[in-house]
Amino acid sequence: MTNLDHGKFTRMTTTFHSLLALDVFALFFTGYALMFNDHLWWLLVLMGGNVGVVAVHRLAGLGLIALVVFWMVMMLITDTGRSNFREIVPTREDVDAFVQDVKFMLGRADERHPNARQFAGYESDEVPLLSYVGKGVVFIFAIELTLLVVSGLLIWSKSGLMQYFATRTAAMAFVVFHGLLGIIMLMGVMFHIFEHGFHPAFYPLETKAFIPRRMIPESHADDADADGTGIEELSLASSWNKVANLMGVLVVIGITSVMTASIVDEGYPVPRELHLEGSPFDLLLTIGINVGIFVLFVGLVLSLYGNVVRRRWERQLREEREGPAATDGGDVSSAED
Amino acid sequence: MAEYELPEDEVSTYGRASILFAAAVSLVVTAVLAWAAAGFDVFYEGLFRVGPTVEGGGVGSDWVAGNTMPALDFLIALIHAADVILGVFILFLVFVHWAAFRRLAAQMRPPGWTRSGTTPDAERTDGGEAE
Repeated sequence: MTNLDHGKFTRMTTTFHSLLALDVFALFFTGYALMFNDHLWWLLVLMGGNVGVVAVHRLAGLGLIALVVFWMVMMLITDTGRSNFREIVPTREDVDAFVQDVKFMLGRADERHPNARQFAGYESDEVPLLSYVGKGVVFIFAIELTLLVVSGLLIWSKSGLMQYFATRTAAMAFVVFHGLLGIIMLMGVMFHIFEHGFHPAFYPLETKAFIPRRMIPESHADDADADGTGIEELSLASSWNKVANLMGVLVVIGITSVMTASIVDEGYPVPRELHLEGSPFDLLLTIGINVGIFVLFVGLVLSLYGNVVRRRWERQLREEREGPAATDGGDVSSAED
Repeated sequence: MAEYELPEDEVSTYGRASILFAAAVSLVVTAVLAWAAAGFDVFYEGLFRVGPTVEGGGVGSDWVAGNTMPALDFLIALIHAADVILGVFILFLVFVHWAAFRRLAAQMRPPGWTRSGTTPDAERTDGGEAE
């Protein structure tokens, strides 16, 4: 039994996901080192100061534009892309899945809805390409990235901005707008890292987004008359409890802190209201935002790890295809039952 | 089937306590050196906020000062509201998933589970259940 049970993304999508992740992390680290400068001054210093960070942020921004345009063209010119439009349209099922998830949390439902299921196991056919959260991620990313790209380009092109808004104040306001907009994505990505890194069946990483669908077996040998997902057949990793709880706490602290800071640190480049530096509140906020940055760093590491797993998976498949006798013999011992 | 043998016990290795101790010492020494290099200053650096929209990176001012466009004020208030509303919703999603993961984990086999019902030795090896 494999736990890679519903890899449904193509190689294009998995590669795109990895590149997008790298680019978005670069934008987060540079952008919020500027916006939350009071709390992430060390990050700014580490990356070479204001001038260098702004340059890297713009470079990564260009990378983002290239990625987004590539994605839109792919979705328009290919059959696979066009058929995926139908897959991302939210349906009644998705609302049901969310409601059932809340019930599941409260212990009033026995299992998660297929549209919420990350581990589908024996019932992998029932699970859609994207869960209700996945669809939300696609929509929010689409809206957010568009607005971020537009506002980012306007900030960059001073003459372009001045054309519409004649004052420097307006330019400042656009910087504020741009930074506040990114907060939604920043919080969403922290949740995304928790959701796909700390599911007990996939811990420490759900490989769905890294191993292309061509390399995932379509069915299990033993799923003919199985009942349920078969999650009870899997062993829990011994470190899961501790690590998942720790990450849960860190993610909650990170999200709460950047949300609070987005209100307090609004008036970039100078706060709207002066607050005492070094006050307990400020100290807590500093710790919390740094916790959030740590969560992002964990996400970056997990994304790289996903590609390591993919390489191993590719090699194992190739070895099995080339010569079953020459491999380690693991198949023989696992055939005992 | 493996044609090699792992050395098991006879190899000398580093103890866990010494590793933790050395790690703690290294962190303290690094922190003290960083502190010394910063001139024994407070860790907090009152930073000069710099406006990237100003040519040459001068000190900027709050965008609210001199703003004559109510639309901008509205736009930013709107994003503030979106940040908080979506932030609270995302937090809720974190809790939903956290709880769901805990319930799912409870359905799985506990760590160290074997078919015979006995727990394996400290080191979890894959082929252990054959013997």
